[in-house]
Amino acid sequence: MSTKRKQLGLGLMLLLGLAGIGSNCGKTPDENGPPKAEETPYKKTGKEGTITGTIAFAGTVTLKKIDTSADLVCAKKNPNLETEDNVVKDGKLANAFVYIKNGTLADGKQLRDVSFAFSGDVTLDQNGCHYVPHVLGVQTNQKVRITNSDPTQHNIHPTPKYNPEWNQTQPNGAPPLEKTFGHSEVLVPVKCNQHPWMKAYIGVLKHPFFAVSAADGTFTIKEVPPGKYTLVAWHEGGASGTEKTIEVTVSANGTAKADFSFGAAAAASQNSSLELRPALELPVVGGH
Amino acid sequence: MTRAVHRFTLLLTGATFVLLIAGALVTSHDAGLATPDWPLSNGKVFPKMVGNLFWEHGHRLVATAVGLLTIALNVYLYKREARRWVRRLGFVALGVVIAQGLLGGLTVKLMLPLAVSAAHATLAQLFFCTVVSLTVFTSPRWREELRTIEDKENLPLRYLLLAAAITVFLQLILGATLRHSAPWDRYLPKELVLAHVGGAVAVSLILGAAILSVLRRHADETYLTGPARIALGLLALQLLLGLASYLTRLASPSDPQPLNPMIWVTVAHVTCGALAFATTIVLTLRAFKVLRAPESTFQLATA
Repeated sequence: MSTKRKQLGLGLMLLLGLAGIGSNCGKTPDENGPPKAEETPYKKTGKEGTITGTIAFAGTVTLKKIDTSADLVCAKKNPNLETEDNVVKDGKLANAFVYIKNGTLADGKQLRDVSFAFSGDVTLDQNGCHYVPHVLGVQTNQKVRITNSDPTQHNIHPTPKYNPEWNQTQPNGAPPLEKTFGHSEVLVPVKCNQHPWMKAYIGVLKHPFFAVSAADGTFTIKEVPPGKYTLVAWHEGGASGTEKTIEVTVSANGTAKADFSFGAAAAASQNSSLELRPALELPVVGGH
Repeated sequence: MTRAVHRFTLLLTGATFVLLIAGALVTSHDAGLATPDWPLSNGKVFPKMVGNLFWEHGHRLVATAVGLLTIALNVYLYKREARRWVRRLGFVALGVVIAQGLLGGLTVKLMLPLAVSAAHATLAQLFFCTVVSLTVFTSPRWREELRTIEDKENLPLRYLLLAAAITVFLQLILGATLRHSAPWDRYLPKELVLAHVGGAVAVSLILGAAILSVLRRHADETYLTGPARIALGLLALQLLLGLASYLTRLASPSDPQPLNPMIWVTVAHVTCGALAFATTIVLTLRAFKVLRAPESTFQLATA
């Protein structure tokens, strides 16, 4: 074979290889898996159950005070702002995101093969120069209404992995922004480029079986179809948060109990000064 | 009139140095996307400068001033500079500053992709060295008929200095890539940290060897030893600032927001790097000016 043909062949192989890598970039975990069966809309049977539980926290943590002086409006409205990563009261942790990761319904269907309708919007407010709520859940393609209740300008910037990234300014008095996320992703970090201490997390799931633990650490997930499920509790901290997993079985009209426990030791190790990210994520043309 | 041109290039160099600091402050405060539009900021020429918009828009204002000064310099050079190659270098500087402005806009519109952000940071250093070079070429000393000195050692000092300048530039690219690879609340990629440390070792060896060669071989030539001593001091300072940047940056993911000393230490590391690069360029240019290749002599064998 002539040298030119060999070079052309190598070049084509290289291009095909790069195209293969490129075509795999940005794909959601759903798209990378095996081909799915067609989704069946879920019809309520009246036998749905509940999952409840408590998120405990072992150890003591101190919330850090935030310096809001860069924006006098923030300094005046919320002079005692603190971080919300480890909100612990009487050994109970708030702002943990609890969700069903996967499972099998009692009729044998896989949870991922069933679609669930949603109603209404979810609201994320900027109030006192912090996001309210700090952690929230939403279904794919369900509307998130973003409002600005502060007499100052904010800038909302979600940084997802599997959904399109966007960055938008919202002045005081501007109408709510309405956005959706098309792919499931747990969790999408949200920042404000104007006020870098502002953080929120949005859990995006195909189904409505998720909850955020309250100030007393409790959570409740209602109207869960009977079946066996993998339940996950996510708590922020470290490179991408900490997750704990429990298997639960929900019986017809029953209540399944699931308690989780996080600790200060786990949180500290996630923030270890020796921890470095393992590798630079490709492609380098992606935003952050 | 040539002194006036030189003073103007000094003014532009100073303004560019301020711009480098302003740009570094934007990155350290994570203010790069404080406004999602460009070239206006939230649709205005002069928006309310609160929060991180103060750093981002402030950076844009200084950049505009530097752009206008570069245009003015080109007009000045066109009218007052007889050497065509100097006028052309001024035109190159203008092209670079325009490209830099466009890159800055691209970083905002594409939401800070690593390749574009690193290119923006690197081109900033190149622009700084271009205006520093213009300052050297328009200086009265450069125009003098200086005594040339034979560069007679086996390894010509001019080429050693050139290699040092290239090594410093490559290290700047690594540093820019590392700096933009993760925001303040994320840890830096291990591989890039190690590459940048390796670059620091290479710079220390090559630039250190070049500087010590200058000081040893041409101890009486203050035209060379002056910038050589400054470069040595900046190299030592930069290594310390690099260590301090690494330590403060390791701690920042645990902080609630970008805080000092991380902000000022990382900004100082960036600007000291720029000064070290600029000083190496000055030293290299001066070396090429006053050092000449040794004259070859043939000794005929006598029968």
